[in-house]
Amino acid sequence: MSVAMKSAVDGGVIDELRAIIGDDTQVLPNLTSRVNRTRVPAPFPVHRWADHMPDVAVLPTAAEQVSEVVKLANRLKIPVVTRAGGTGLADGAVPLRGGILVDVKLMNKIKEIDLTDRAVTVGPGINMLKLNEELKRHGVFYPDDPASYPCSLVGGRIGASGFSLLSARYGHTRDLVMSMQVVLPTGEIVEVGEGGGRKLRKSSTGFHLKQLFMGHQGTLGITTEATLELVPRPEVEFAAFFAFDDYMKAYQTVGRLTKSGLSTIAGVVLFDEWKLAYLRRDDEAYIPQPPWVKAVVAVAMYGSRTELEAASRRVMELGRSEGGKYLGDEISAGDWASRHDRYATPLHGRLRDGQVVPMSWHCEDAALNYSVLPKVREEWHAIVDRYIDEYGIFDDWGMFAYTSSAYKPWGDYLVEIDVGIWEQMFNEENWRAWVNLKREIAEVSLKYGGSITSCHGATREGDAGLVPREMGSAWEVVKRIKRALDPNNVMNPGKQSLDEAYASTNGKQP
Amino acid sequence: MSANVPNVNADPGNVNYDPNGDGKLQEEFVEKWRNNAYGCFTSGHKFCREVCPVVQVTRNENHSPTAFHANIVGMEKGLVDVEDVADDYIHCTQCGACELRCPNTLFTGDFYRNRTQTVSVVKAMRALMVDKGLHREQWKLWNRLTDSLKNEPVLGVEENGQPNGQEHVRDWAEGFDIPIGDETIMFVDCEAAFYRTSYTRALAQLLQMGGVEFGLMREQWCCGGPAAEMGYVEQSRRFAQHNVDDWRAVGAKRIIAVEPHDYVHFTEDYPAYFGEDFDFEIVLALDLVAELIRDGRIKLEKPINRVVTYHDPCRLNKRKGIHEAPREILRAIPGLTFKDVDHVTQWSYCSGGGGGLIIEKPEITAEISRRRLTRASELEVNTLVSACVWSERPLTAAGEEAGIDVMDIFELVAESAGIEVGGYTSGPRVGADFEEGSA
Repeated sequence: MSVAMKSAVDGGVIDELRAIIGDDTQVLPNLTSRVNRTRVPAPFPVHRWADHMPDVAVLPTAAEQVSEVVKLANRLKIPVVTRAGGTGLADGAVPLRGGILVDVKLMNKIKEIDLTDRAVTVGPGINMLKLNEELKRHGVFYPDDPASYPCSLVGGRIGASGFSLLSARYGHTRDLVMSMQVVLPTGEIVEVGEGGGRKLRKSSTGFHLKQLFMGHQGTLGITTEATLELVPRPEVEFAAFFAFDDYMKAYQTVGRLTKSGLSTIAGVVLFDEWKLAYLRRDDEAYIPQPPWVKAVVAVAMYGSRTELEAASRRVMELGRSEGGKYLGDEISAGDWASRHDRYATPLHGRLRDGQVVPMSWHCEDAALNYSVLPKVREEWHAIVDRYIDEYGIFDDWGMFAYTSSAYKPWGDYLVEIDVGIWEQMFNEENWRAWVNLKREIAEVSLKYGGSITSCHGATREGDAGLVPREMGSAWEVVKRIKRALDPNNVMNPGKQSLDEAYASTNGKQP
Repeated sequence: MSANVPNVNADPGNVNYDPNGDGKLQEEFVEKWRNNAYGCFTSGHKFCREVCPVVQVTRNENHSPTAFHANIVGMEKGLVDVEDVADDYIHCTQCGACELRCPNTLFTGDFYRNRTQTVSVVKAMRALMVDKGLHREQWKLWNRLTDSLKNEPVLGVEENGQPNGQEHVRDWAEGFDIPIGDETIMFVDCEAAFYRTSYTRALAQLLQMGGVEFGLMREQWCCGGPAAEMGYVEQSRRFAQHNVDDWRAVGAKRIIAVEPHDYVHFTEDYPAYFGEDFDFEIVLALDLVAELIRDGRIKLEKPINRVVTYHDPCRLNKRKGIHEAPREILRAIPGLTFKDVDHVTQWSYCSGGGGGLIIEKPEITAEISRRRLTRASELEVNTLVSACVWSERPLTAAGEEAGIDVMDIFELVAESAGIEVGGYTSGPRVGADFEEGSA
């Protein structure tokens, strides 16, 4: 058998794991440990919960333990799924075929803070907020700033190749990780970076392997250590929100802001009309805007006082240049400051007739260029609208577009449509509807030259089937790499259509 | 609704007890908590994880509030039973940080009163465990001894570790001439009556100095709060009934809660037990002392040459939103250098002393306290000041390792007010007879 199947974990395997980990309390074959490592915040097929349980969870504390666990799994062809924070939105950490779940939360130490060459080395189980609490006293910070900043962990950020709200100023996870230690699917421990040095940002030696191990969603290895960029804490943070009576005016304003050449811009966010309507009707935390407001543009800048005093004046001019109305200091500073707390929106949505029902939030993302934002927006809303009519368990909570290029605000955007889902109604039919809705959304992204995901990962049913299409001519290369590194398909099997890498051998050992 | 029927709106965590349970206890539990659980389950963002003092130590997702709620959905779906998940719920100090940090609470709490309830879920689950005979040995022993002694065995669970409660429950007040019975009763917590009597002696003398008239109970039993926290709800109610009867018998109208755990219990559980009949005014001693200082009735004149930081007790800061009074007090003490850490940062701090964790999982409590003292060390202070007697035992142990004194705020205030406190901070001397014990 070349494809690891569920499940070869028996008492003997548990004994071997205990010997490797050396602490029986960190080898967890009990039911509750498995049940509680099945899900991430993405909508979950609760009617098929047991299908997603790992057979055992382990909490290693060292790379050598991870290596031995992976070697064991590879020898016995047992699936290995890595779990960091379990806060992803596309099931990267959700086991599809049981197996051993490697939970890295105990690997949360800060190993070195180098203020001279500006680098911090950490275990993958540390959270960015916690890391920054430690870094604060040194006057530096690690600017990887997703909506999940208080809960996601560095290892998961690497596995998902995360998006940072402040990317236009400071880059994303893949730009902020200088090097890392990775346990390969066959158990070897390797160091990958930009060439050789652990703290280098640029080199020209060999293949640049770092990006290969970024965003693979646990399918190519397990990061056991990472060396991260340290950035001076900004002296000043400036945010401004502008309201518009028309989406296109807001869109044009985003274009002007992002092409302004102001290097302190950390991010620009565009709220569309559906988003405004949703916030107005159902988010009591939102500060209500008059009915004429159809779109909002938020811009945030980080830097020194000297830079920002001048730049903020220019931003105020640009924000108003297409008829934008400044929403005032309170909303601007307050809403930006609470951006992490806006992650989970209210626990209710509405049916067509206005009836309030409990709903949870899901955000469907894509990477798209500026030029296609208006068209994609129309098509996405039309898709959701159709599913609302047909199934009655969805609600359209509007769209955001966030600047998404590293170290520059122009070019591409993380575009998301937020869909409310009445998850208590999930059965197989409604679950399929959700998967199909996702697929249709993703197909629009591909049609317009985008990527089906900017940061969540294409690991969920619906998206995963489209990965070969998006990768196009490079898909063969992807499959060859996967098969070369993971000959037995033990690393997070079933994700991203990577099983196709083994199909050409007709199920025989490659 | 009669006197002893609980008010279900006040705190559902305390009404799970069902002495006539017919095997449907788990079903009833799930039915009661499923919507609350779904609020977390379908969100699942885990903002609570990094703020949880237990998970910060164990890093085990089973111990996270997210798991506490997911398990209920799992029970509803027939995936797990209470037996499978019981151990998870031991890992909680009931500090309430998770509820504060929950995005659901933050954004729907105010308007819809849809605060995610996790502390109540833990209490209810522990009550279900007791009802189903899934006792934890240390909790069972602790509550059995409490039941027989009428006070918690804070001086030791071994044989003769703790004297009979009622003969000694007022020993701490020796020499103070405090009457039995009054319109205002000072309710003295078990830890404060037997283990850290300096706490209680400092407070009593401050109140006397400030001209507050108060008496003690005729027969003071444990408040019952810890029993409720560990799931022994029937016992908790019985003790509450006794104390309320004692208060009524002397015509008490006002009860001074000397420390935060009693305060939470008197303001949340007692009203749930007794409904509208519970008409006592509950005063937090800390608020009272702050008021006396503010009004000039306690004069702080002796300089205290210490560099201190303040530990926000969870039940004050996280459960009750009380964080200003202690800071006001500390700023009023002459000579003191006060290095503050804001109360929101302290949402993720804890001593680990609450919710029975110290009884069942003392090693986790010790590590939580150790980390708290590390935070204090980083500020280069020589004293950590708390305002919760239950926190002070594990913090003091960790403070000895870290070379930092742990003091109660009343002890510090008393010293600045020129009071000779007396009593002891860590129980009577080892080897001494209880009657002789004094520092």
